[in-house]
Amino acid sequence: MNSPRKSFDTRALAAAAALVLAIAFVAPPREAAGARASGQEIAEALTCQCGCGLTVANCNHPNCSFSVPTRERIDAMLAQGKGRAEIVAYFRKQYGEKILSAPTTQGFNLLAWTMPFIALLAGGAMIVLVMGRWRTRGAGAGDSSDVPAPRSSGQSNSGQSNAAAQFDPALRERLERELKERI
Amino acid sequence: MPLIGQLALALALLVAIYSIGANLIGLRRNSPELLLSARHALWAMCAMVTVAVAALWAGLLASDFSLEYVASYSSVTLPLPYKFAALWGGQQGSLLFWTWLLSIFTSIAIWQNRRRNPEITPWALIVLAAVAVFFLGMLNFVTRPFDLLATVPPDGSDLNPLLQNYWMAIHPPSLYTGYVSAAVPFAFACGALITRRLDDAWIRTTRRWAIFSWFFLTLGNLFGARWAYEVLGWGGYWAWDPVENAAFMPWLVMTAYLHSVMIQERKDMLKVWNLALVGMAFMLTLFGTFLTRSGVISSVHSFTQSGLGPYFLTFLIVVIVAYTALLLSRVKDLKGPAEFESYLSREAAFLFNNLMLVGIAFAVFWGTVFPVLSEAVRGVKITVGPPFFDAVNGPLALGLIFLMGVGPLIAWRRTSPEALMRTFMAPIVMGVGAGIAVFAMGLRQWYVLTALSLAAFALGSVIVEFRRGVSARRHLVHEAPARALVNLVAKNNRRYGGYIIHLGVVFAFVGIVASSFFRIEVKRSVREGQSFTIGAYELTYLGLKGIEDAHMEDLGARVEVTSGGRAVATLMPARLFYKRQQQPATRVAIRSTPLADLYVVLAGVDDQSGLATFEVFLTPLVFWLWAGGFMMAIGTVIVMWPNVRERAALAAALGRDAPVAAETPLEPQAAPGGD
Repeated sequence: MNSPRKSFDTRALAAAAALVLAIAFVAPPREAAGARASGQEIAEALTCQCGCGLTVANCNHPNCSFSVPTRERIDAMLAQGKGRAEIVAYFRKQYGEKILSAPTTQGFNLLAWTMPFIALLAGGAMIVLVMGRWRTRGAGAGDSSDVPAPRSSGQSNSGQSNAAAQFDPALRERLERELKERI
Repeated sequence: MPLIGQLALALALLVAIYSIGANLIGLRRNSPELLLSARHALWAMCAMVTVAVAALWAGLLASDFSLEYVASYSSVTLPLPYKFAALWGGQQGSLLFWTWLLSIFTSIAIWQNRRRNPEITPWALIVLAAVAVFFLGMLNFVTRPFDLLATVPPDGSDLNPLLQNYWMAIHPPSLYTGYVSAAVPFAFACGALITRRLDDAWIRTTRRWAIFSWFFLTLGNLFGARWAYEVLGWGGYWAWDPVENAAFMPWLVMTAYLHSVMIQERKDMLKVWNLALVGMAFMLTLFGTFLTRSGVISSVHSFTQSGLGPYFLTFLIVVIVAYTALLLSRVKDLKGPAEFESYLSREAAFLFNNLMLVGIAFAVFWGTVFPVLSEAVRGVKITVGPPFFDAVNGPLALGLIFLMGVGPLIAWRRTSPEALMRTFMAPIVMGVGAGIAVFAMGLRQWYVLTALSLAAFALGSVIVEFRRGVSARRHLVHEAPARALVNLVAKNNRRYGGYIIHLGVVFAFVGIVASSFFRIEVKRSVREGQSFTIGAYELTYLGLKGIEDAHMEDLGARVEVTSGGRAVATLMPARLFYKRQQQPATRVAIRSTPLADLYVVLAGVDDQSGLATFEVFLTPLVFWLWAGGFMMAIGTVIVMWPNVRERAALAAALGRDAPVAAETPLEPQAAPGGD
């Protein structure tokens, strides 16, 4: 009785995993491809150097000596027709890598971007592995176990009706009585 | 007063150390008197720390500038509520406040366990006292709140202007409460590990503490976000600042714990994992304090940096090593039944939900510490800011919302494909329908489409659960729908309170997505009487109004807001100038509606030309972030509401006579709700 369910399970798991992964690995959000970058977007890509720790776009100091002139400079460069990459590169050259508000996608920095997903995949693989082991063990134990099959449905709050038909009438009556008491 | 405070702190340290000793010796000699004395010592510690807190408050309220702390964080003209809140405005005060909370929570835990958990409690109290000894050690020897100045200044330097906001009165206390109360489940977990009492008694004993901690972490994060929104003046509420991250991580891990603990309660599985999560949550609260205090990573919260970092780091490492060693030494005792039937089960959904939550916590942790790593490895300083966290966590959040829709509906143990289809039909239809509707509205960003569809799917799943429960009550006990709904929640508060929290998360998520993607910004310099538009609003600048008192200057700009020719509001954004600190600040004006927030900042005023510069943001649906947060809070209160059935389950777990029947195959397990 296990095999059809198992194969369905595996397929369903594969589909669910594919869905979650598809959701998780598509290009990062917020990049409006082809659109012309606004001053705000570029200011978000740069970190304010006044010590506030926020981006140039978000610096909260009203007369900040860094973010205010930088925002003006960005607007001026945009007005000259310069693009996002060019403007960001200009500031990077002036202040070094620390001005970028996110790590680059090269070299050691690649680790920043990939590690969370590697950890997630490793964790996911571990869960599947452990659950697979438990399932085999559980199935082995289940064959000799004297736990009546309907128990599972009695506890669950969905998928009840398909199993309810197998209930012995006395159990069923008791279930209804207890349900009335509890809900 | 300062002397009393200092003395009280010294005594508190001594009684805390005594309590540890008395507990250890009492356990070894099996002496109930010593164990009782150890408990009383912790009550004495609480009384002493309370005296110290009262002494510092007295100093602040009386503007006693002979105290270095008062001189640094208060001033004569500081409004009274902020003098009160200055207790947690600076480092020494906030550590004292922290210790005070810890001593109060310890006392409550002692009271709760005066007649139960006789084996675990002494060890839990040793752990809590050890944490208190660390903090009291800091307060007595490293960062002393009652240090005196050689020359008394006529006035203090005032509280940082950013902190002079009413959120200051509630954000730090909420967050601290969340942080510190995480110590109680941690301490009982340690106690359970040490005594090898590894059934679920410790979990049931501290379940309410864990939810309490989660509740305040939730509020603390939300209040912090709201504070940023109202004070920082950039139209946003979350900047992925290291200290924000530090508050977010324990929340994530605690959320994971509150879910996975249900598997242990129900199936006696995942013991090691739950112990690991409780440990992680507590360590992350210490890590958060370390980040705030050490200045190792630059942060917007850098108003309280100091040389405390090394001490905290050492303490953190000791806690991590000791707890890990303890956990590993007990792994054999923690083997539970490995009962698992299907990937299509609630157990599996919970495990993947844990993966996502801990995955996000890891991503946040990784991004937060990566600059330090980069500097150590490459010698290059880099910044890991909002673009990184948005890009990495955005997709993970989608996975989480998807699982949030799956969890409540999928059955425990296993579910058949047919039942699965039948159960999920309505939420899937809602999700797809929402996607199509959003597409028809002309939105094309894949993230927004997916996010809103998944939000509708998760919403659908909660609605189906409520509908199912209500219809069961209507059939079984013949109640009218409204009454059935109320009774359903009242009688199964843990479960349906949880669903209300889910609803709150869905609303907050929609608010976050909409406000992140569709915020528009306009910056204009106008003269008096001139207007400009943003979205459907027209804003007219009507002139300036200045107010000045001894404490600050307040220059407000009157702005009339019309929509479709109809006046809807008059706003008053302002530039502030704090005299003692010689610092400018802004006060934003917000008109909030469920559809969008109009957020107006007075960016500058040019006296010569008469031009006033306004930065205006129109942020759609951000209202729902706060509304969702409020709903999460309500849901948590419902979950925490005393429940006869749960008390019985706790009594049963603790082995006393309980008014529950013996477990039979049909008896829903001890805590039927909460799933």
